[in-house]
Amino acid sequence: MALNLLHRHVLEDHILGFHGGANPNHLSVVRRPVIFSVLAHAGREGQVREALAKAEDIAIRACGPSEWLAVSQTAGAEHVAAQLSAIPGVSLAEQSDGKVLMAIAGPSVRRILAKCVAVDLHPDVFAEGQSANMMCCHVVANLARTGADTFEIIVPRSFAGSVFEELTEMGREHALTASFLDA
Amino acid sequence: MASLITCPHCGTRPKEEFSIRGAAAPRRPSPAARDEVWHRYVYVRDNPKGRYEEYWHHAAGCRRWLVVDRDNLTHEVFGVTDATDHLTAEAGE
Ligand SMILES: [Zn+2]
Repeated sequence: MALNLLHRHVLEDHILGFHGGANPNHLSVVRRPVIFSVLAHAGREGQVREALAKAEDIAIRACGPSEWLAVSQTAGAEHVAAQLSAIPGVSLAEQSDGKVLMAIAGPSVRRILAKCVAVDLHPDVFAEGQSANMMCCHVVANLARTGADTFEIIVPRSFAGSVFEELTEMGREHALTASFLDA
Repeated sequence: MASLITCPHCGTRPKEEFSIRGAAAPRRPSPAARDEVWHRYVYVRDNPKGRYEEYWHHAAGCRRWLVVDRDNLTHEVFGVTDATDHLTAEAGE
């Protein structure tokens, strides 16, 4: 099993002091998501993509051709690993303690993210359920639209503090608040 | 972020997401090739002005190697292909 570095969340010090209720524009940090990196073997991309779409309790994020992130906030790592490794033609690696998952939501979410990414997030262009790797606040991130005005961002753990600070800074004019999801 | 590159996998992205890795034309010589041939492959480049094929690595996106066919004077982009498809197309010619 992967070495667990999550006993103390990397953003603990950044969020300390943010008290009070959540505003309409809110950034929540998921404390213990399960995240796996999934790669399809050459020639198996199509089959793997179909099989991944059927996985239960697992959200699939597109990274590039034949590469995905499998994310779960409900299932345990063993359950996710068992489901994924049952798919023929995949290689996987657990990334749970190497990645940080944040969700940003609210009526001004696109105006905030417009200052963080250079991708068109208009509702007609970036559909619900769509995801892609992109540069977010100068860091390589995976961004997914998970609701009408909700986006999830996955960044490497060591850059999470910097991305968090920049997101909250960009959200200040929209009264963005931040907290752990299960604080 | 003015210079835009349309990645075949990710769509239109700013150049900040890519790292430029040099001319795409040189082909790796055989391991037994003479030193002069290897020297030329490793160190000697034509550095043309104008239309030119270049490797771009989409480091902040799909992490694929791309071949960008562009004019290095005007930055007009004529085409972007995945490096694998580029090699396959070349082999087919
Ligand atoms: Zn790309």
